[in-house]
Amino acid sequence: MKRVQFSHSPIPYLFIAPQIIIICIFFLWPAAQAIYQSFLLEDAFGLSSQFVWFKNYKDTILTDAWLQSAGFTLVFSFLVTFLSLALAMLLAVKANEVIQGARTYKTLLMWAYAIAPPVAGLMGNLMFNPLIGDLYYFLNAMGWDFNHKLDSFDAGFVVILIAVWKQVSVNFIFFLSGLQSIPKSVLEAATIDCKSNLRRFWTMTFPLLAPTTFFLVVINITYAFFETFGIIDTTTGGAPGGSTSTLVYKVFTDGFRGNDLGGSSAQSVVLMLMVLALTVIQFRFIERKVHY
Amino acid sequence: MLKRTLTAIGAFSCLATISVANAATEVQWWHAMGGRLGEVVDEIAVKYNASQSEYKLVPTYKGGYEDTMTAGIAAFRAKQQPHILQIFDAGAATIINAKGATIAVADLMAEHGAGFNKEDYLAGVRNFYADSDGKMIGMPFNSSTPLLYYNKEAFKKAGIATPPKTWEEFEAIAPKLKEAGYIALAQSHSPWIFTENFHSRHNLQMATANNGYDSTDVKIMYNNPELKMHWGKVKEWLDKGWYGYYGRAWGDNQDAFIQKKTAMWLGSSGSFGGLTKSAEFEFGGSFLPYWKSIVDEPKGTFIGGAALFAMSGHDDEEYKGVADFMKFLTSPEMQYFWHKETGYVPITNAAYDLAKNDGYYETTPDAEIGILQLNQPGGDWTKGYRLGYYVQIREVLYKHFDDIFAGKLSVDDAFAKIEEESNDLLERFNATYN
Amino acid sequence: MLKLSWHAISGHLILILGAIFMTAPVWVAFMSSTHSAETLFREGLQAWPGGHFFENYNEVLFVEGGVMKRVTASMMLWNSLLLGIGFAIGKVVISTLAAYAIVYFRFRLATPLFWIIFMTLLLPLEVRIIPSYEVVAGMGLLDTHTGLILPLIASATGTFYFRQFYKSVPEELLEAARLDGANAWQFFIDILIPISKTMIAAILIIMFVVGWNQYLWPLIMTTNEDNYTLVIGIKQIYQVLSEGGELPQFQKAYALTILATLPPVIVVLVFQSWFVKGLVESEK
Repeated sequence: MKRVQFSHSPIPYLFIAPQIIIICIFFLWPAAQAIYQSFLLEDAFGLSSQFVWFKNYKDTILTDAWLQSAGFTLVFSFLVTFLSLALAMLLAVKANEVIQGARTYKTLLMWAYAIAPPVAGLMGNLMFNPLIGDLYYFLNAMGWDFNHKLDSFDAGFVVILIAVWKQVSVNFIFFLSGLQSIPKSVLEAATIDCKSNLRRFWTMTFPLLAPTTFFLVVINITYAFFETFGIIDTTTGGAPGGSTSTLVYKVFTDGFRGNDLGGSSAQSVVLMLMVLALTVIQFRFIERKVHY
Repeated sequence: MLKRTLTAIGAFSCLATISVANAATEVQWWHAMGGRLGEVVDEIAVKYNASQSEYKLVPTYKGGYEDTMTAGIAAFRAKQQPHILQIFDAGAATIINAKGATIAVADLMAEHGAGFNKEDYLAGVRNFYADSDGKMIGMPFNSSTPLLYYNKEAFKKAGIATPPKTWEEFEAIAPKLKEAGYIALAQSHSPWIFTENFHSRHNLQMATANNGYDSTDVKIMYNNPELKMHWGKVKEWLDKGWYGYYGRAWGDNQDAFIQKKTAMWLGSSGSFGGLTKSAEFEFGGSFLPYWKSIVDEPKGTFIGGAALFAMSGHDDEEYKGVADFMKFLTSPEMQYFWHKETGYVPITNAAYDLAKNDGYYETTPDAEIGILQLNQPGGDWTKGYRLGYYVQIREVLYKHFDDIFAGKLSVDDAFAKIEEESNDLLERFNATYN
Repeated sequence: MLKLSWHAISGHLILILGAIFMTAPVWVAFMSSTHSAETLFREGLQAWPGGHFFENYNEVLFVEGGVMKRVTASMMLWNSLLLGIGFAIGKVVISTLAAYAIVYFRFRLATPLFWIIFMTLLLPLEVRIIPSYEVVAGMGLLDTHTGLILPLIASATGTFYFRQFYKSVPEELLEAARLDGANAWQFFIDILIPISKTMIAAILIIMFVVGWNQYLWPLIMTTNEDNYTLVIGIKQIYQVLSEGGELPQFQKAYALTILATLPPVIVVLVFQSWFVKGLVESEK
């Protein structure tokens, strides 16, 4: 809050009104509905419904399918976050070092930011298509008995690869600007003190990038939880055997494919609580930073 | 009250609405027919609209079967439902058990002067979308049945004269095809072909309560020795290189057949038209094989595909339009047109006769195979099934079939899980819809 | 000296590999979109240009009754543009106003309102999508651009961007303005907005990309083919591909992919420095 402010008057309410009205109609009301729905057993067409307390939770949470999905979501989020951060950091450090062609590298490495996840998914899908996909042939020619339609490890590999690919550019942008904000004098002093590149990175650069990294971890986890929906929907669709279905994807399939509203809503609410926990952690361990 | 306020705000803040002003009564039809099928649907609409001026039929493609069903349901909840909604076989229980969501087509057509006689429809077609008393609720639209397609070139190369009638025969020829460089078989929809129709073909019961027609309080009967034997065999074939699995999507496996990777493919009678265009080799169609060890006289198969449902909540004038269109759609000429253009079977006896008299099957004998298979003698368990949350049950099937293929679960364990998880879903459905 | 140059070479090598990794899939997609369906189906993806560029793009852009039936890609391009621009502008207008109220005013409901706004960040549209659909349908906004855009704007990310930015604006500005006798509205329009120009531009770019790339919401929201966006068009073509039937139209899928990718990529590349600044500033 500003120390100097306009004093109390109806004016601020006018300014904030559009935002609040939209939130009330399109956020609070539907969110409340979702919570209410999670306690109902209602037929798909909404013609009859009964209040059943926690039956939907009991029927859908902690079932084999849900646990499988939760397990995959965790592994998936961890790997996507770790790999895309590591790759982006490596590229950003190198891009910050080189003198020739720095601008070109930068452009080539960041442009994928603009590509929609489902579009990335479709491109990846065709790359791995058993009928025309070059990567599919390549991996098999390399001696890997690769079949992502049948093998859950291979399917996970495809989804993670595409999700990482899509996320590298955002991380790269943040890391690079983080590096560029380190004062030149600090870097020069470090070069004199420490001749080994690797040691210099771990003792100098990495700690300086830590705040950015922390912040990116949260963004990346959110990305892996929610935004990868489009990738999964256009590649594996959760197959084989539901092994690549994230929790959000499962909410979608149960609700929109299976038309089980109560069960799907109950899973949404659990997901909400998970995101809430994530945010609390973010606030506890990282200073108050808010980002989408 | 809130709703009214919201509506007011909505109307006020509306930037751009797309609306079609029209004098004729509009009949909205949401369907799931993509690609070439969608084009034929549009042609039907053009023909219908040209045939009269009172009603205007507006078909809209809503994506795949599940997308279309969900869109229709969401629209119904928001009181924006179309007049006609296409619902596929697995969704039949959801829409028919939601009392008051639809108007039975038998009633609708009788009431609005379009006339309705159940006997007009092919025997294999009239029961699947009917209630337990046999009254037709949905109008079968794109009706198909699983067929075996085989690559004649491949068969010649391997020195095989005819396609296998039984799975025993299949096992005899598969090694020869393998030697000739082909994977013998692929299949496009394992719940539909290797589960549901497996039961119909062998006249086995699928579920209690008359396959689910009599009640929603029902238990699945998939954990049976015959089906387990079959899947044990399929896994064996996969391991021996006689069976190929190219993914869950329908097209994955069909494309493998087109690319000559597999010598045979189990698909739908509706695939016929597409194959004619894309396959660069001579191919033929044949009945779905059966196990001689289970039955001597195989029965017919279920119809697959989807039906058209008349959604409730519209006014009489519009229903007259719906009935009028349904009458037009089921006329022999239109059915014959649909049959010829897409390969789906005609649903009325009159249309079948028209096709026969026109000499269609003399020039294109393969187009008749699906109808002949549907018209094979029926048994106690060949009219269909009505199981709730069946979309999810199919997911359960896929999931555990994947596990069998990947060697993660034995056939016995997989079917025990299928039984348990399916029954949980059926129980949930029963609790919801009662 | 030798060591240093090895280091530089390895750096370039890593960057070149990285650049190839990031660009190759799109390159292959673009090249494949210039071949015929037969070539792709029989010979696989293509790395070099084919002779069907005009034919393929002309077909998806202008020929009605192709794979997309009544819909053409140029129509979807228009819908995508409307969504991207409408979303970006809507978001910026609403969030500059709201952030202004939060940062520059002391009022009784400030804290609860702030928390309401904050809550929207916790719950993505994906998990409340069925009730959102019902609300929009209840208002008669299905198949309208309003109904498409407003629920997406409900997430208050933009408000937080501007809140952070306003907080970094020197306090002296307001003091000076008040000495000049400016009222709240004048201060906002005459001073705050002009100094936020770069920030606004950056947020517009980011939000344009976010809006353009929306997937799940338009997918269930648009019940009419006339309102398909490009990203949805791609989903539909994928649907048709996976259903099989005739010869798979991979070249059209790729052409649509490229069309869906081009506009946001151009925007990001042209306004690169603003966009990067905006994205990174928002973190602070």
